[in-house]
Order: sequence, then C-alpha cells, then structure tokens
Amino acid sequence: MITLPDNLKRPFADHLLAVADDKLMLGHRNSDWTGLAPILEEDIAFSSLAQDEMAHAQALYQLIAGLIGTSADALAFGRESEAFRCAAIVEAPDEFDWATAICRQFYCDHFDRLRLRRLARSSYKPLADLANRLAAEEQIHVEHVDSWIQRLGRGTDESRQRMQRSLDALAAIAPSLFEPIEHEHELVAADVYPRAEKDMFETWRNELEQIANDSSLKLDLHPPSPQAIGGRRGKHTEHLAPLLEEMCEVYRLEPNAAW
Amino acid sequence: MSNVREQSHPSNGDLTSPAEGDLKPYVVFTQLNRGDPHMYAGCVDAADEQMALQFAREHYGQDQKCVNIWVVPKEAVTATNYDTDLIWRHTDQTYRLARGYSKPVKDKWRKLRRAEDLKEYEKDDLKETF
Amino acid sequence: MSGSANVGVHVDHARDEDPAKLAEFEARITAGELLEPDDWMPQAYRQGMLKMAEHHANSEIIGALPEGEWITRAPSLRRKLALTAKVQDEVGHGQMLYRVSQDLGKSRDQMLRDLITGKTKYHNVFNYPAPTWGDIAMIQWLIDGAAILNQKTLADGAYGPYVRTMKRINMEEAFHFKSGEDMVLTLMSGTKTQRQMGQEAFDRWWYPALMFFGPPDKPHAEQLPPMRWRMKTVTNDDLRRRFINRFAPAAIDLGLKIHVVKKDDNGMVIEKKPDENLRLDETTGNWSFTQPDWDEFYRVIRGNGPCNAKRLALRRFSYEQGRWVRHAILRGNAGLPPAA
Ligand SMILES: [Fe+2]
Ligand SMILES: [Fe+2]
Repeated sequence: MITLPDNLKRPFADHLLAVADDKLMLGHRNSDWTGLAPILEEDIAFSSLAQDEMAHAQALYQLIAGLIGTSADALAFGRESEAFRCAAIVEAPDEFDWATAICRQFYCDHFDRLRLRRLARSSYKPLADLANRLAAEEQIHVEHVDSWIQRLGRGTDESRQRMQRSLDALAAIAPSLFEPIEHEHELVAADVYPRAEKDMFETWRNELEQIANDSSLKLDLHPPSPQAIGGRRGKHTEHLAPLLEEMCEVYRLEPNAAW
Repeated sequence: MSNVREQSHPSNGDLTSPAEGDLKPYVVFTQLNRGDPHMYAGCVDAADEQMALQFAREHYGQDQKCVNIWVVPKEAVTATNYDTDLIWRHTDQTYRLARGYSKPVKDKWRKLRRAEDLKEYEKDDLKETF
Repeated sequence: MSGSANVGVHVDHARDEDPAKLAEFEARITAGELLEPDDWMPQAYRQGMLKMAEHHANSEIIGALPEGEWITRAPSLRRKLALTAKVQDEVGHGQMLYRVSQDLGKSRDQMLRDLITGKTKYHNVFNYPAPTWGDIAMIQWLIDGAAILNQKTLADGAYGPYVRTMKRINMEEAFHFKSGEDMVLTLMSGTKTQRQMGQEAFDRWWYPALMFFGPPDKPHAEQLPPMRWRMKTVTNDDLRRRFINRFAPAAIDLGLKIHVVKKDDNGMVIEKKPDENLRLDETTGNWSFTQPDWDEFYRVIRGNGPCNAKRLALRRFSYEQGRWVRHAILRGNAGLPPAA
C-alpha cells in the first residue's frame, strides 16, 4: 500500500506520534548528558544514541506531517502536553544518575526495537521502509545498553546495587510503553500495524530477563491493565509539562519565525 | 643450472616433514612521511614482534618511501562486522557536517553582501569540508 | 572550539640541555620536520607541549558546558540535533587532546582532577555566560570562527601528535562555524525580537572573541620558545588582526553594531557605545578598533570571571557522579559474559 485510506489517517498519526514522541523525549533527556557522562568516550557514544533518537523522531514527524498537513517542528514544539502520546517512562528525569539513564534506556530500547521491527512489516510501504532503516540503528542502541547493564550489574557490589535500585524504581512505569493507543485495532486490522508474531510484552520481558540474569540483576515486570489511561491517551506524569516548557522556551518566543 | 635444480624429480608420496602450522600473524601500519598518520598496509606472519618488524620493513616499507612502521598482533585487533554492525547511520546526517549548511549560508549572505566582500570573507573557510 | 597557544604557556629557555642535541633539535624544527613523542626534545619543550595540549583539552571539556545548557532548549529539531552534535564534538576534541597529553606522560584522571581543583586552567572565554539562544549563535560564529583561525595555524606546528589532532579537529570546527553562521544569518534576517537577540548576544561576545587570541604579544615573540619551536606559528596580535578584518565587515553587513561595552559581575552588558575607533585603513587593508579591557582578562583568568565557579562546579559534579561507574569497569569484575 502506497497511499493510506482517509479513515486510517487519524489513528495512524496518533500511533506514529506515540513512536516519535517516545523517541523525542528519550533523545531529549539523553542529549542533556552531552558533556557530563562518566567517561569521555561514553559521553560521545551516548550522545550519538541520543541524536539517533531525535533524528528518528524527526523522520517520523515528517511522515506524519505530510499526511496531516503540518511540519515536523510544529509537531515537536507546537503542541500542548495533552497532544503528546509518549509513555510515562520516557518522561522520567534522571538527575544525571547514570544508573537511571541506563536502565531507562534498557527498558525503552528493547521495546523500541520490537516495535520498529513490527512496523517494518507494515502494509503501508513508506512506513515499512522507514521503520526498517530505524530498526537497524536501534540495534546499535540495544547492544550498547545491554553491555552497560552487564558491566555494571557484574562490576562491583556498589554498581550492582545501584543498577538494581534503578531497575526497580523504573519497573512500575516501564510497562507504560505497552499501554494501548486509541483505534489501534483498526490499524492492526489493516495490517498497517501488523499483529505481533508473539505476545510483545512477553517477548520484551524475556529479552530483558535474559540480559538481567547474565548481569546478576533481577526484574519484576507486569503488563499494564488494558484499561490503563496514561501517556498514550494524553494523560502524562508531572514531569512532562516542565520538560515541554524548557524544550519549547525559545520556539515559543516566535513560533512562526525560522530559527 | 645447479645440480639440485637439475636433479629434482617429480614425486607423489607423503611428505616427510610434518605439518606445523603458521607463525603468528601481525597487522602492519606504515607511515609514509614523518607526521602523517600510520595506515594499514597488510599483514606478516612472524615468531614475535621483533621478527614481525623485520619482515614488515622489507615487505611493506619498500614499495614507496616509508619512515616508520607499527606491528600489532592480529589477535589484538577487534573489528566490527560488515553485515551486522551499522556504523554510518541511515538517517540524514547533514546536520552535523559543514556541507549541510553551505548552501543556505551562501544564499543568506548573498542577500546581504556584495560578492567580493563575501569572497574575501570566505577565504579562511576550510574548503575541503564543504 | 578553543585553541590554546594564546594563553601564555610559559616555556623557559632550555637550560642544562646538551648543546649539540639542542642544535640538532632546532635544526629539525627549522627544516619543518614533525616531532614524535619518542624523539629527543628539550625538557622545556616536552613540558610546554604537555601544558599546551592539556590546557587545550581542558578548554574543550569546559567549553562543552555553556552550550550544553542549550541542547534542551534549541528551537527546532535540526538545531537540536546540530547543537548536540557540536557539543559532542567538543567532548571528542577533549578526548583526543587528552590522549596527546597522556602520551606526554600525565594520566587523564590526574588531568581531570587538576582541572576540577583549579590546579590547571582552561580557556578564559568559557567563563562568560550564555543567557539566550542568540549567545549560542554568536559563540558558534565568533568563537568557533576564532578557534578555526587559531587552530589552522596550530596545525602548522612541529609536534606531530598535536598537529594531526588539530587537522582532524578543524574538519569538525568547520561544521561548528558554518552552523553558527547559519544561525546568525537566520537571526539577523528574522523578526525584530530575533534581531535584537542577535545584537545583544553580539555585544556580549565581541570582546571575549577579541580576547580569545590572548594578550598583546611580548616583544620579539617570534624568537621566544613557543614560536621558535613552532608550538605556535602566528602571534596573538596577528591572529586578532586577521579575525577583525574578517568579522568586523561581516558583522556590519549583517546589520550588527559594534559596541564598546561595560559589563557587570555577571557578564551582562550595562553600558554600551559605538566603537569610535572602528574603521578600515584603506592603505593597509586593516581595521582599527578599541583594544579589549586587558585588566578584565587577567581578572577572569585569576578565577573571578562571571562563570568560573559555575563551570568548575558542574565539571566536579560530573566527575564525582561518575566515580562508581569508572570504578566498576576499572576495578570491578570482568565486564561481559562470554559471547553466546
Ligand atoms: Fe568547536
Ligand atoms: Fe573544539
């Protein structure tokens, strides 16, 4: 399919906004580390991963913008918080605690790779092509974050405890990634968002568990209730509003100007 | 022609010398001029570092002027995989390259400045990056 | 950005050196040869190069901080990506320059500790504040522009590892400078608010940019070790002249006014008037200008600039926060499970 039927445009945009918003927020949080990470080489690497997330968000916004007649920047900077579709976990701040940043990344990147692989099978060709390219980059992220989980989980007693604490602290909101999106079933029915081959939550949990087990860490994850109303429906944690205020501070000075 | 050359006959049977395997491989990096970066040149098999250097200087140091050589045990080299390890990203990277800005910058300057002023100003640019 | 030969790295004349070796060393320098770490060199040269590379590395690392504050506020996706990449580059420059310094005998950890505890210095220019997005544009245009001018001449130096690093760094500086130009051009051809933002930021950065190249040279700078030994190749004043000749007319064409300013303790402009000395001398082709306030320069170097304490505090925070991570991979159990 090269053109999307009109009745699917709105749910499609909503769905892709969830993907793009997750990436933008995660990239926004992680890019803030540039210059401050624990090791210079990692500072550079982690910044590249953050740039990838933001570049992915940009590419997705462009796809959405083309369908609904707006611009990528207007989508990123011009919406109020209720219009965002990101999950609670990407909104979580890290206060420059490396364990928090890495654990957040761990939950999100594994999920993101699964989601992109699923989108790469989309019947809507422009999306499938894009998701394919993005999934290849997401692979780098997963390998990168897994190795940090393993090194720090196994490193010292202190590093293991810190990692365990952060994994636990984020475990409650990590499944927010799986909260259902409105009208998702219509997209699934049209194969625009093809059905997962296996239960996606289980796949995700298994992937994470395997790495955690290798790393002397424990995981405790439960699927979100199907009725959960959170980020995917525009209901956000208290962290999103201040994030947006900061992110859009300059843009809002002259929303119509070129910057 | 020497006797040996003349008298060696074709023969089939098993070899009398046993197979003993190879020497250790070393990767060779040569530097063509003082101050240049060292570049990958090839490999030599040798018993140790010193032997590797002796081999490398004759093998890779003679086809063009060369001022310095490094040898590194091949096993010490860890590499990415062409098929599975993406390095240069798929997504647009022009945001982080000078040439991603040359055209918009030129267009904007042209609205503001005379061509000769712009030319004078641009003479300090690093041409090779745009 | 950055570049450090201008900060007055003091190199004593080589005393107690074998005169024959010293003569041979100087002959190699004069012949334009590049030196490698294992070559014979006067102690003063080795120490001077270490000081210079370390200072440069420190400057890159601290230089990542003022602009780093704006990554979360950049006003478009492209600018956000570009600024992140730009700050990331500066960290990369620091990493490469610490390597050059490490190979001259000092550990990176010790260098970071000395930086944070104030035993070593970094470039003065990073002790000024960047209160608006306009400052980000001006920093990348003026300061990275100054850095390119400076670092291009450092790439003509004599110490091989430093020269090779400069060449690599300059490729990235070209991106910083071009994206800076693009931001400045966008602001100055934008709305009234944007143009005002540009002018105010320009007023804050013009003089730090002129001071970037360091104080006026000592007499006969060419014969003193830093230049005689090609640790640097152009005088501070000459670099400053080239900078003004390039940027003053460009600023004017952009619609910017060049002011002599007075600043408060926070680095904010409290008084400004047009620079009456600013004019092009048609016979020499050089622009004349009002000299920077060199008392201010030395005040800031001594640690009393608007942002010295803030920059070091953030760097210290990062170092302390990262301790357990570095400890775990340096001293902890072997990192990864056996490959599957
Ligand atoms: Fe720079
Ligand atoms: Fe730099």
